[in-house]
Amino acid sequence: MLRRSRRRDRLLGLFGLGVLLLDPPILNLVGGTLFGWPSLYLYLFGVWGLLIAGAAWLGGRGTAPPIDGGRKTGR
Amino acid sequence: MSQQLIVAVALAYLLLLFLVAWMVEHSSGWLSRLTGSSVVYTLSLAVYCSSWTFNGGVGRAAQSGLDFLPIYLGPTLVFILGPILIRRILRISKANRITSIADLIGARFGKSGGLAALVTVIAVVGLIPYIALQLKSIASGFAALSAGGFGGASATRPVLMDEALWAAVVLTVFAMLFGSRSIRPGEHHPGMVVAVALESILKLVSLTAIGLFVGYGAFHGFGDLFTQAAAIPEISTIYEYSPHRYGYSWISMTVLAGLAIFCLPRQFQVMFVENVVEQHLDKARWQFPLYLLAINLFVLPIAIAGRLMLPADTDPDNLVLAVPLAAGQPLIALIAFLGGVSAAASMVVVETTALSIMVCNDVVMPALLRVKSLDLASRSDLTRLLLWVRRGVMAAVMALGYLYMRHDSAQFALVSIGLMSFVAVAQFAPAMLGGLFWGGATKAGAFTGITSGFLIWCYTLLLPSFARSGALGMEFIADGPFGIALLKPYALFGFEGLDPVTHAAFWSLLVNAGGFIAVSLAGRQTPVEHARAAMFVDADHPGDAAQIWRRTALVPDLMSLTARFLGRERAEAAFADWAGSRGVDPATAVTADTETVLFYERLLAGVIGAASARVLVGAIVEEEPLGVDEVMRILDETSRIIEANRQLEEKSRALEAATAELTGVNARLQELDRLKDDFIATVNHELRTPLASIRAFSEILRDHPELSDDERLEFLRVVVAESERLTRLINQLLDLSKIEASGSFPAERQPVDLAAVIRESTAAMQQVFAGSQVGLKLSIEAEPAEIVGDHDRLVQVVINLLGNAVKFSPPGRGEAELRLRRVGDELELSVADNGPGIRAADREIVFERFRQLGDPMTDKPQGVGLGLAISHRIVTQHGGRIWIEDAIGGGAVFKIRLGGTRLAAE
Repeated sequence: MLRRSRRRDRLLGLFGLGVLLLDPPILNLVGGTLFGWPSLYLYLFGVWGLLIAGAAWLGGRGTAPPIDGGRKTGR
Repeated sequence: MSQQLIVAVALAYLLLLFLVAWMVEHSSGWLSRLTGSSVVYTLSLAVYCSSWTFNGGVGRAAQSGLDFLPIYLGPTLVFILGPILIRRILRISKANRITSIADLIGARFGKSGGLAALVTVIAVVGLIPYIALQLKSIASGFAALSAGGFGGASATRPVLMDEALWAAVVLTVFAMLFGSRSIRPGEHHPGMVVAVALESILKLVSLTAIGLFVGYGAFHGFGDLFTQAAAIPEISTIYEYSPHRYGYSWISMTVLAGLAIFCLPRQFQVMFVENVVEQHLDKARWQFPLYLLAINLFVLPIAIAGRLMLPADTDPDNLVLAVPLAAGQPLIALIAFLGGVSAAASMVVVETTALSIMVCNDVVMPALLRVKSLDLASRSDLTRLLLWVRRGVMAAVMALGYLYMRHDSAQFALVSIGLMSFVAVAQFAPAMLGGLFWGGATKAGAFTGITSGFLIWCYTLLLPSFARSGALGMEFIADGPFGIALLKPYALFGFEGLDPVTHAAFWSLLVNAGGFIAVSLAGRQTPVEHARAAMFVDADHPGDAAQIWRRTALVPDLMSLTARFLGRERAEAAFADWAGSRGVDPATAVTADTETVLFYERLLAGVIGAASARVLVGAIVEEEPLGVDEVMRILDETSRIIEANRQLEEKSRALEAATAELTGVNARLQELDRLKDDFIATVNHELRTPLASIRAFSEILRDHPELSDDERLEFLRVVVAESERLTRLINQLLDLSKIEASGSFPAERQPVDLAAVIRESTAAMQQVFAGSQVGLKLSIEAEPAEIVGDHDRLVQVVINLLGNAVKFSPPGRGEAELRLRRVGDELELSVADNGPGIRAADREIVFERFRQLGDPMTDKPQGVGLGLAISHRIVTQHGGRIWIEDAIGGGAVFKIRLGGTRLAAE
């Protein structure tokens, strides 16, 4: 139970971080070019990739019992 | 490139997809197992990337840089919350066999048919522009590819020459083939899902191929591309840097896309309805965002390349095709076209399938079922009717989409049209999220919120789009209706400075959520709503929902009803499964209880939606809400059961007590039996011993005349003594039996003075004491000491005690004391001696019959052992007690207490 709520908190934290980094005004701080590439392009895809990695790392092991209590219905 | 070739390639591709779908549903090989794969699930979610992504994204990027990205960042953020939000919707949908978003919202608010119908209507109206967008994109792509020119305005041509019409017809047929070929329980379309997954792969491959071609074929790497672009300020400014360019519109697009990912009917269909294994979501949580990232990776480079290579008046939404064509690569252009067709086709197929299910299950069927004259509920086979209703809905939706495209969308970019639909479906979000996480949400609140949000949407987005196409007049936008500036649709209540979509999203969602919350807070839930709310909000805690309807029906009725929609075989298999899980024999089950009725309703809901299923089942089920009487009856029953239970417990306790009593009595009886045996053995012995010695000495006297006189005298003395002892024994035994026969009261009941009794007894014992040289001290402190009782018996007791004292006192220096005093209400008589005393352990048993202390083998018996037993019984009969204590100077004290005045008063 403790582990599950911890994971839930972490997911919410990651979500909050994503909202913060991927939206203005933080977004508008990035500009110009980096090694000839537009740095906003690099920034957005970089943060995006890290968020996905974070979501994958937080894992999908939280397998709770199915909602109907595992009862076998003719589904 | 010739039109025939393009058409042939596109049709061949679509047929190939259909073949795959057909094989998935009909073969049993590896293809059919694909549906159980999480990769297929993830790829099917990518139906999100329609033509809008494929063509519109590049177009948007070419015009305004990176602000096409929020459309994908929003879903990414929502998918991070997958285990919290999406899993919950998934579980609820599976548990209730939800078939669409309209079904879900309707089911949450008390299986409300009206609410589901409202959601359906809004979905259809809101998504028509979106479908039009796909048609427009295919048509203009086809025109661009076949003519080599860019951007043929399809709306100016005759209808039959219009590519968009033919695209619509082909896609409609295609959608019907995929989405409404047969009725399956749970609305699963495994073939469609696999085909969509395949299309998603092609979309990704196609866009990546173009991206790589742009980077390494048309330019010398992406660095070169960006460097060339940086040299032209009007291009570089759109993506490089300009402070505060991303504001509210970026945020609103993120929010809208995040809501759309689960509110769009087609997303709901693939994400929740088509999901076969809940665990697929665990992988899709990050794989789907990864797909979104991958497919958008080259959008900006392609857009920049388009700006660099092509004249500025090129339709930006056609850049994906135009860039390879301009670079002289028709094959890549064809791949791009197929990618666009894939995107459009998958979107149209899934969207129309989802919409047809919604319209059929939540609008048409409930309406038809309510028309009594049609008597649909008694028809034998309804699957064909269902299918034709759905096909009709698909055709109608496509026709509306085509009409909208032909008349209204020419002046809009793809992304703007798509966003319009996003705002429309976002109106479902407050009711849906509120319904899932807030138990207090009411149906009236949901109605109010969705309706008002939709009306604002119509006013701020739909009507202006008509105005811009000339149907309403531009002054409607510029000056507001009837010139009222405050009601200008793009600046409602004077709120200016936002783009139309953000403006509409703000007002509609504000009014929607506000109305939803306010009306929910002000109103009350009906019991049904309350039960549903508890079930949805507590979905993480498995367990059956509170059932407040009592419903019964006959299983055959339910079976034939379900068979009409599912086919007899499937219906029977499902019921056999269900009955098996409850330990019921499906062949003999006749009456369906509430749970079985619920099972059938859910089974039906999986085909025709919750609202229709409710109407249908309701027609054959005897359904009554539990009234107050019913509830009282249940309570009554419960309290009766509790009472019966309590009584049972009491009885069992009484029984236990009785058993314990019986066990005690039994033990006592066994003890008495043992005592009787002992008694008989002892009496036998006690009587035989003196008799034997009398007989032996008498025989000696008879047979031996030569004995001296002294010897004769001695022997005769023994015979007399033994005879006396025998007489005494017999007397005492008679006494004892007499005492015992008289029960618990003395035989005589008359006033007796204890002091007189004592004097009488001591006088009788005077000689005995003197003969044994034992001193007797008498102290009578209470006189007169009257009790009621038997004088002679009491004398016997005192004599017994005194005789006892003489027996155990050492001769010569023995000292006995008899004392009578008053203790409270009682009289206490005590006889003390200075003999050896009695051990504490023996103080009880000396009062038993024939109990004599000392070793019976060595010590000479000094009495018959009945004296104390007799005394004990006499005292007990007089209501007194007798016990032994230690005397002060050694020896024993026998104490008797008798209730003097109490007995006298009787």
